[in-house]
Amino acid sequence: MNRLVFLPPAVAACALLWCCMGRHGTAETPAAPTVAQTVQPPAAPAATVPNTPDRGAGVDDSLVKTFRDRNGSLFEGWSKPQAVVVVTGELDGYIEPCGCTGKENQKGGLSRRRNFLRALTAADWPLVSVDLGGQVKRFGRQSEIKFQSIADGLRTMGYAAVGLGPGDLRLPAEELVAAVAPVGDRPTPFVSANVGLLGLDANITPRFRIVEAGGLRFGIVSVLGDAEAKQVRNDAIEIVPAAEGIEAAAAELKKANCSHQILLSWASPEETKILAARFPQFDIVATAGGADEPPAELPMLPGGARLVELGHKGMFAVAIGFFADSQKPLLSQRVPLDARWGEAEDMIALLATYQSQLESLGLTGLGLAAMRHPTGRRFAGSASCADCHQHAFDVWKDTPHATALATLEEQKPRRDGDPECLSCHVVGWAPQRYEPFEGGFVGMKVTPHLAHQGCENCHGPAAAHAAVERGDVRASVTERDRLRSEVAMSIETPEGKQKAINNCLECHDLDNSPQFDFDTYWPQVEHPTPPSEADQAK
Amino acid sequence: MLEAASRPWRAGDFSPSGMLPSGPSPTVDVPEIQFAFGTIGVGAKGSHEFLIRNTGEAPLELTRGATSCTCTVSDFEETAGGSSNAKVVPPGGTTKLKVEWRGKGDGGPFRQQASVLTNDPRRPQIAFVVEGTVIPIYLAVPKAITLPKLSTGTSEQATVRIVTFGKEPPTVDSLTLDNEETAHFYSLASSPLKPAEFAAETGATGGFQISVDIRPGLPIGPLRQTIKAVFRLPEEVTVEIPVEGAVSGDLALAGQAWDSSREAVMLGTVSSRTGSQTSLFVIAKGPHRADVKPVVREVVPDSLQVVVGEGRAVGSGNVIRIPLSITIPPGSGPANHFCSPQAPAGRIVLDTSHPDSPTLTIPVCVTIIP
Repeated sequence: MNRLVFLPPAVAACALLWCCMGRHGTAETPAAPTVAQTVQPPAAPAATVPNTPDRGAGVDDSLVKTFRDRNGSLFEGWSKPQAVVVVTGELDGYIEPCGCTGKENQKGGLSRRRNFLRALTAADWPLVSVDLGGQVKRFGRQSEIKFQSIADGLRTMGYAAVGLGPGDLRLPAEELVAAVAPVGDRPTPFVSANVGLLGLDANITPRFRIVEAGGLRFGIVSVLGDAEAKQVRNDAIEIVPAAEGIEAAAAELKKANCSHQILLSWASPEETKILAARFPQFDIVATAGGADEPPAELPMLPGGARLVELGHKGMFAVAIGFFADSQKPLLSQRVPLDARWGEAEDMIALLATYQSQLESLGLTGLGLAAMRHPTGRRFAGSASCADCHQHAFDVWKDTPHATALATLEEQKPRRDGDPECLSCHVVGWAPQRYEPFEGGFVGMKVTPHLAHQGCENCHGPAAAHAAVERGDVRASVTERDRLRSEVAMSIETPEGKQKAINNCLECHDLDNSPQFDFDTYWPQVEHPTPPSEADQAK
Repeated sequence: MLEAASRPWRAGDFSPSGMLPSGPSPTVDVPEIQFAFGTIGVGAKGSHEFLIRNTGEAPLELTRGATSCTCTVSDFEETAGGSSNAKVVPPGGTTKLKVEWRGKGDGGPFRQQASVLTNDPRRPQIAFVVEGTVIPIYLAVPKAITLPKLSTGTSEQATVRIVTFGKEPPTVDSLTLDNEETAHFYSLASSPLKPAEFAAETGATGGFQISVDIRPGLPIGPLRQTIKAVFRLPEEVTVEIPVEGAVSGDLALAGQAWDSSREAVMLGTVSSRTGSQTSLFVIAKGPHRADVKPVVREVVPDSLQVVVGEGRAVGSGNVIRIPLSITIPPGSGPANHFCSPQAPAGRIVLDTSHPDSPTLTIPVCVTIIP
């Protein structure tokens, strides 16, 4: 007989006590909680609960099996821990799974992370979620909006502590302050022992945090490493040496009699290890700058601390279980955030709001001024090419390149207002800079002829060539031939082929097209000039 | 004691395949599941063979599983009766899994894995890990010059270090700027790095520093410029260093209630019974920052109480923050400044003493209800 298991409210299962200590408030400080507060963690969905939190609720069994086979089983041999600490970080702006296409095969994204954390809560595991920081990597209005969206998402997920990475700290301080500030009577989850937005004594964020879960008390300190701090050029942010920041926080943590102390170190592994050796009271030390893939087991540092690497782009979370078992007090699990976790509605809604903000601001509102194309030429649109190059056009219109923009419009939420997506789905943008060239695609109302991944993204802007061939502009034979040669391509020579490959890789990069191989992909889009067109052109 | 999912099996552990078979069964034995290759160049290939033994009593069936990256591939050794995707190892026999990898990306730590599925019920999956460090062709520190809010009235300096890993130290051919419109505000210079300045980077053979001087007067708005450095190792390499940020006026606002998209203080709906309190900071930059001494000239609605605090230097002193405490005291009269056409924004007007921006008007969106 099937039996439905109803959980008690998640609040009863895992009430977190947040103590915002280390905020030595001044009269000028915005209202900030300085006393212990009980914070309601996010409610778990009422549903049947698996014994092991190794999948998202409602995800199809076959999908779960596919990804279990591909990326490994989770929490094998685990019993219910006293408490579980989940460490994430280095999202690098990948609010969605890394890559634009085939997301089901990619790892990461806030939505899956949300469902993973929900699964832990639903399994009645007392949970503390912490994040190393590094939510964004790029600079500009889009990154500011993205940082705010991610901060909102982390609050929704009930994060206890979130650090600040160097990419985050490149954003204007006034934007950071607005994004990390407390909302209502909930304290900010952002924390740093050595970084002060508008100065350390402005107390925008606390120096450390103490959280209780499952009867254990965790002290959490976050720092930005000294080498990384040197790269932050933001006059409105005060940064003191990491060791100095830890020293000040450690004295307060000592008084709090924590069961475990966690250091979130936004530094290279080498610098983090030096900090861990100097401050042996931390038994969990998370570092930035590791490899793409975190190790399956947490290495032990000479002082006995466990070193946590997180990989890149938010593709993994690391769960650390604490057990009341002297033989086995600690277990860890690297958790790939793959499709087995499914999608969380509230994070999809957050993503939709983010996309809607981008769309409403438009390119101008996002500060994207068109830049000059390196050739100085302008774009004509793929339809213009068809006047003479009918064969090539016929080949192209049957390839996915010819419907590239439509794939963004069909996404839910749609992505056709997102410069980070648009840049490879329309004509006339710099793919890796996410910026339009002068005369490039602006929008369907203004430049519909530049929709999709068209001819000129490979051949180069062809407005002058098309105008001369149509007879709109008079030109000498020499000039006509020069314009033709500007847009001619050949992969017959090694140099020509390499140039073509480099151009393809602008969009078919490791994130968005990990399987890309020129020799495999090229035959699918190849369109040699047929003899009849070649004769006509003479 | 710490354990993880890929630990060797021990009696009493959970078995995902359920009950173990009672008859003869294969037993997979791998003396090594992790290989540290040291260093490899970007684009270069490395390989390693992992030995797999069958110490059980039934044939061991092996199937090639997924790799964690397309930069890593695995193959079983070629023998009669097997394929590169699957292999049957008789009791007492051995085979090898060859894992190949390619140094990818911009260099740095590398760790990838290749998995093998087995019919050993105790160990249905094994993850073989290769790890090391990818040595790049060059390393730019920082990769971009970011100036989040550059004051139009101030000059700025920045440096970028390019550390190279070629056969020879670099020879710089050219330093250029791609945005001609603002290029005249920039001066670029390069100088070679001393050995001690790149010694910390394993495998580095040379390097140079790019010094950037930015003159005052850049137009307010997004900062868009790219420094292009061309050098030889002896092969030609081009590095692009974006200069990104924004040029802004000398006064800005920050705080929980400040909405930069709407450029207004958002106080929302406030009950006159409870009132409300919030704080903002005026951020002053530029050569006149120390002169900024805000004084409240006007507030709308008139129940707003605004107190200006003492200015304090932040960090290195290039920015001064001045706190503003904004209070709607209990008992304030009703007011509607919801920032709509029917209910226009309220405001706080400050006299600043700044020579170029003597007045700062801060829109306030608030509705006070009884």
